[in-house]
Amino acid sequence: MIPRRVQYELIKHVGGPLLMELQGLSKRLRPRRGPRPDSPFGPPLESIGKLKDLMTRHYLEGRYADGAVPVAWVTSGFPVELLRTLGFHSVYPENHAALCGVQRLTPEYSAAAERLGYSRSLCSYARTDIGAVLLDKTPAGRLPRPDLLACCTNICQTVLYWYRCLADHLKVPLVLIDTPFVYGDSAAHHQQYVADQLEELLSTAERISGRRVEPEKLLEVARLSYEGTLLWGECLAESTHRPAPWTGFDGFFHIAPIVTLRGSTECNAYYRHLLDELRYRVKRGIGGIKEERYRLLWDNLPIWFNVREMSTLLAESRFNIVVTTYTNAWAEAGKRMDPTDPINSAARSYTHVILNEDLDRRLDLMSRLARDYQVDGALLHSDRSCKPYSIGQVDLRDKLAERAGIKSLLLEADHNDPRAYSTEQGNTRIQAFMESFV
Amino acid sequence: MRKDYIKEQKARHARTVLAVLPIQYPKELLTAMDVLAVELWGPPGKVRGPGAGRLQAYVCAVARNAVAFVQAGGTKDVDGFLYPHACDSIQGLATLIPNFGGAGDKPALHYLNPKGEARPSSRRFLVAELRDLADKIARITGKPLAPERLTWAISLHRDIDALRLRLLEGRARLDLSDRALYDVLRRGEWLWPEDHLSELKEAVTGLAEGGAVKPKGVGLLFSGIVPEPMTIFDELADMGAYVAADDYAAVGRRVVKKPLVLKDDPLETLAWLMFAHPPCPTRATSLATRLTYLDRLVHRSGAVGVVIHTVKFCEPELFDVAGIKSHFGAQNVGVLFLESELEGELSGQTVTRLEAFVEMVAQRRKS
Ligand code: SF4
Ligand code: SF4
Repeated sequence: MIPRRVQYELIKHVGGPLLMELQGLSKRLRPRRGPRPDSPFGPPLESIGKLKDLMTRHYLEGRYADGAVPVAWVTSGFPVELLRTLGFHSVYPENHAALCGVQRLTPEYSAAAERLGYSRSLCSYARTDIGAVLLDKTPAGRLPRPDLLACCTNICQTVLYWYRCLADHLKVPLVLIDTPFVYGDSAAHHQQYVADQLEELLSTAERISGRRVEPEKLLEVARLSYEGTLLWGECLAESTHRPAPWTGFDGFFHIAPIVTLRGSTECNAYYRHLLDELRYRVKRGIGGIKEERYRLLWDNLPIWFNVREMSTLLAESRFNIVVTTYTNAWAEAGKRMDPTDPINSAARSYTHVILNEDLDRRLDLMSRLARDYQVDGALLHSDRSCKPYSIGQVDLRDKLAERAGIKSLLLEADHNDPRAYSTEQGNTRIQAFMESFV
Repeated sequence: MRKDYIKEQKARHARTVLAVLPIQYPKELLTAMDVLAVELWGPPGKVRGPGAGRLQAYVCAVARNAVAFVQAGGTKDVDGFLYPHACDSIQGLATLIPNFGGAGDKPALHYLNPKGEARPSSRRFLVAELRDLADKIARITGKPLAPERLTWAISLHRDIDALRLRLLEGRARLDLSDRALYDVLRRGEWLWPEDHLSELKEAVTGLAEGGAVKPKGVGLLFSGIVPEPMTIFDELADMGAYVAADDYAAVGRRVVKKPLVLKDDPLETLAWLMFAHPPCPTRATSLATRLTYLDRLVHRSGAVGVVIHTVKFCEPELFDVAGIKSHFGAQNVGVLFLESELEGELSGQTVTRLEAFVEMVAQRRKS
């Protein structure tokens, strides 16, 4: 029997790349189908193939990771650089839940959680993932069992409640980075608290991985992470051009590497490639949609199971989502990073994320994005499943009109659970909103 | 009544009054600094006033009602607000009201109770957070914190906790209805602590001497955020049941049961106290610790069933429901899950479910 570690290394360095090569080859051999002539979208991004390869490889490696390398299940806003330095394979339950959401698996997975007593009022990412664990099912083939659960509350407290349940269910230690919410300016003792927790995390992670952090390696990962967020920011900023070379909906998918592979060379190589393609499109005036007449800002998570339908509805009426607060969050983080001081820099940048800052900042940010991306209006997804992102949106809608002079639609839905969204009613509201521009 | 009391506290004692949002906060610090805490649990009833629509209907009623109440001028007599960091919803209010209006320009203070089990980092942080809060309060009251006052306040609140504990744990020997008991206990949400202490002293005189147990009916453990609507206790009495053990965040979970550990600096003693509170999901105590604690409550009180009585959309509580159900289910202890929206009265359907549950656990007890 081949030891687990050897299997893992084989998949990582031989099997995975080979499989990607084969897939690439079969794609090249297949006759290329262009977009439907009546499609309202511009030519599809070539990078999407690379993105699929990258993420498939990540999940493929994951199948062989447990028992071979330390495995952590990590929240999206967790300072993962420290774990990466110690060779952890990280799994992102939120990203996995989104994958399930796109494939409309949430009702099935959530039902398993609901049968045990998890309420349908809970975040649908949490329900999806808890259900996946209970059913031992995943569209990714197999998720590696974690040695560590790593949770940071900079996006919400919900992740902490959710990870407590996972810790109890999987009997795995849970490490927490508790990030004080930022009202106005972050107090010095708040920053110190986060930095202290990061030091504590280091010793726990070292114990679990059986390795010591090499300072040089940590600096390198921090540098890559910094560079990755800057590259991601540059990709997004290409949409300040008219027409935007891609849509905000594309961005929802292309965010995956900066979330799951932050601090790695593969992540940055991917964004360099994407950036080149976006620049190429900008130069030639190739838009994400064929005819971009109105530009919109999107706030909150995507409605994963409805992305295709909604983007088509908008594109057909010449509306393009050119910027989203959600995808922008990972670009903003880079502004406070200092790769030469990984711990304090992580304490700063991971505390100052959109969901951990007050509504004044959020309004400033949205007004700035509205201006920089020259938007005509905003779609505010009032997400039943994400209270931290949704509280304040009623006021934000009014303030955006006052301050940035843009009108907004508050659209109630759920990011993962199609049972909580009526597509028909949603479409009618979006139609009416679009008509108000004409 | 509360309004008159607030006015009297200000006029007679020159006290500063802060409206305090749920759940855990260092009340000892406020008492030491001559600040009256008036807690804002909702208030119950229909969401009313112009602020009612500022939060979506899928946010818990505690948060929604609070915004509406504040915006409708319900807190006009207070001098400021204290927002503890209980959950995402309170955190949301803590920026919504100060940033986008509703309470005039009254000062807003924040307090972060560290999450998770106590760690060296969180202990250090908490002392700094308490010191910072004391400085901010001093800026409002004009009076800095005097350490000896804090020592006094800590001791006063330990006396209060001791009496609350006697009432809660001696429940079966207490000659008071649940409704009357909770009325007394919950007056601590807004009375000056010394006044509350006097009322508690009066209430403990109703404890039967020598352990003589009065037959009270079917004993239940109640767990949740806040016992609203309070009519639930009248209904319970009619059904021949009573609250044998309390795990409400607003009540039992705020009673420190561990013996006090005094530190050199009273702020450090206070930090120790904050960690010594019973398990609460809003502080992210581990589920295993919480279940051990609930087990102890059930067994010590002789409760024959568990009622999870929580506020709809309350994520911290809702995540634990599955664990509590399966834990007690395995011990053959019945669990009933009730959600409330802080309505004025229990719905007919809820009463029926409660009734059926009481009957079921009573039957089990007999057989
Ligand atoms: S969707 Fe919202 S509530 Fe759910 S994990 Fe993400 S930030 Fe938290
Ligand atoms: S009821 Fe729950 S969600 Fe609502 S404020 Fe209280 S702890 Fe937060």
